[in-house]
Amino acid sequence: MISVKNIFKNFDKLEVLKGVSCEIQKGERVVLIGPSGSGKSTLLRCMNLLEEPTYGEVWLESDLLTSIDPYLHLDIIRLSKTYKELFSQRKEANPQMSDEEIDSYLISEIKEKDLLKKHEGKEYKKAIKELEKKNRVDINLARRDMGMVFQHFNLFNNLTVIDNLTLTPVTLGLKTKEEAEKTAMELLKRIGLSDKRDEYPAKLSGGQKQRIAIVRALAMNPKVMLFDEPTSALDPEMVGEVLDLIKELADEGMTMVIVTHEMGFAKEVGTRVLFMDNGKIAEEGTPSEVFDNPKNPRTIQFLKAVL
Amino acid sequence: MGYVFEGLLHTLIITVIAALIGLVLGFIVALVKISAENNKYMKIPAIICQIYTTVFRGTPVALQLFIMVFAVFAIPGFKPYAAILTFGINSGAYVSESIRAGISSVDRGQLEAGRALGLTWNKTMIKIIMPQAIKNIIPAIGNEIIALLKETSIIGMIGATAGTLTFDLNAASETIYKSVPNFLACGLIVGAFYLAIVYLLTFVIKIIEKRLRASDKR
Ligand SMILES: Nc1ncnc2c1ncn2[C@@H]1O[C@H](COP(=O)(O)OP(=O)(O)O)[C@@H](O)[C@H]1O
Ligand SMILES: [Mg+2]
Repeated sequence: MISVKNIFKNFDKLEVLKGVSCEIQKGERVVLIGPSGSGKSTLLRCMNLLEEPTYGEVWLESDLLTSIDPYLHLDIIRLSKTYKELFSQRKEANPQMSDEEIDSYLISEIKEKDLLKKHEGKEYKKAIKELEKKNRVDINLARRDMGMVFQHFNLFNNLTVIDNLTLTPVTLGLKTKEEAEKTAMELLKRIGLSDKRDEYPAKLSGGQKQRIAIVRALAMNPKVMLFDEPTSALDPEMVGEVLDLIKELADEGMTMVIVTHEMGFAKEVGTRVLFMDNGKIAEEGTPSEVFDNPKNPRTIQFLKAVL
Repeated sequence: MGYVFEGLLHTLIITVIAALIGLVLGFIVALVKISAENNKYMKIPAIICQIYTTVFRGTPVALQLFIMVFAVFAIPGFKPYAAILTFGINSGAYVSESIRAGISSVDRGQLEAGRALGLTWNKTMIKIIMPQAIKNIIPAIGNEIIALLKETSIIGMIGATAGTLTFDLNAASETIYKSVPNFLACGLIVGAFYLAIVYLLTFVIKIIEKRLRASDKR
């Protein structure tokens, strides 16, 4: 469903993601855990390109969301001026080596030392352009398939509950106003908030806001849902109602990626756990592997602190 | 007394035209600056706009007036128009900042939520951000117009009595000075007129503000 390929994310000088790769399969419920500041939110936000990765690629099924990262395509590296120049130099210096050997050394050297420059010749540029033309999609289209739920709900403050749910499908011409309202009312009924249809967000409790934010995302029929600490901003007595709704979605087979500090919930609902530390995935496995039998000392230390 | 009313009328005309110029200019400049964060082709226009707002907000309007009237537009008979233009351009710098500040006062999460749902930047701006920003923008612009109204009084400094026109309340007060032998009284009368207009404008802004608040029952 989502492929994250070797992404790096820098905010100015600060390196937040330092080479993260992961595959989210259809039907999976991947839980992201890790200390605060380890890059969980940034990784999640890179998946729908709210943050643009500095290097690396993000794919949604067969659609490329980022630009092409030449380092991930050996055939493109081979078209670069840098490669060609170095290749003939090396060949001259090491006549005993085969072309294949030189190639494999050179590729890893270029990758390691980040030798590709901005301009690497026409052929190289053309190859990248072609690959992007073939695979890259309009991010606005891709985002329709990826629902996102934020820590602070982010309901549209200027719109009533019903308009929060219908604005996007109607504005994008996906549904008529009547159709969108019908879907919206079904979703509101499902979470028991149909009486709030004409309220403004400011009149709602945190738990109500977050449940509405979740169904607002569902109203777009997404293929995957991304949750960024959906219960962290809630009063304790409201955490349950939001987690229950997410569990329901899980039972229906929704693919999801969840950043959370609720370890019990993570264990119950997750099919796979990724432990992030310092911008990298430090450990991954099934919930029982990671929670009951952690291997990485950082994971052990983290779990000890939170459990 | 007729002089005062003529001066009053001119003050209002200058203010309205300058305010319109300021609004249009300020809106365009704000739009350029804001869209630069999303559109790389707007980067250079945004820098130009930044220079414009910095210069016009960072120097006294009286100085701008002198430069515009006696250097840039030193055309005979053009004085009053150059003055109006200066007030408009000066006001535009402030208006653009009011608009920009209003927009950046809206929580960033609102934009992110719109974008995450698949709305374009433009659509999110129009449907989500602007309706929330306007509540901060309108009162700020109202205050800007009040400041502008009072600022136009310095037009007397450039002696902009174009032909037979007495060009502002202050100029009118000079005229009164001849018939009312008390200078202080002149000042007080003119001051009272300013006060009345400003009070009226403030009142109108308050009403608009209240309307805006009522429309979002938060
Ligand atoms: N927009 C940003 N600009 C600058 N730094 C940021 C930004 N977003 C996140 N960071 C920094 O990146 C690091 C990781 O943040 P984040 O992904 O939010 O961590 P987590 O969600 O695991 O707590 C933090 O040090 C944070 O301060
Ligand atoms: Mg976070």
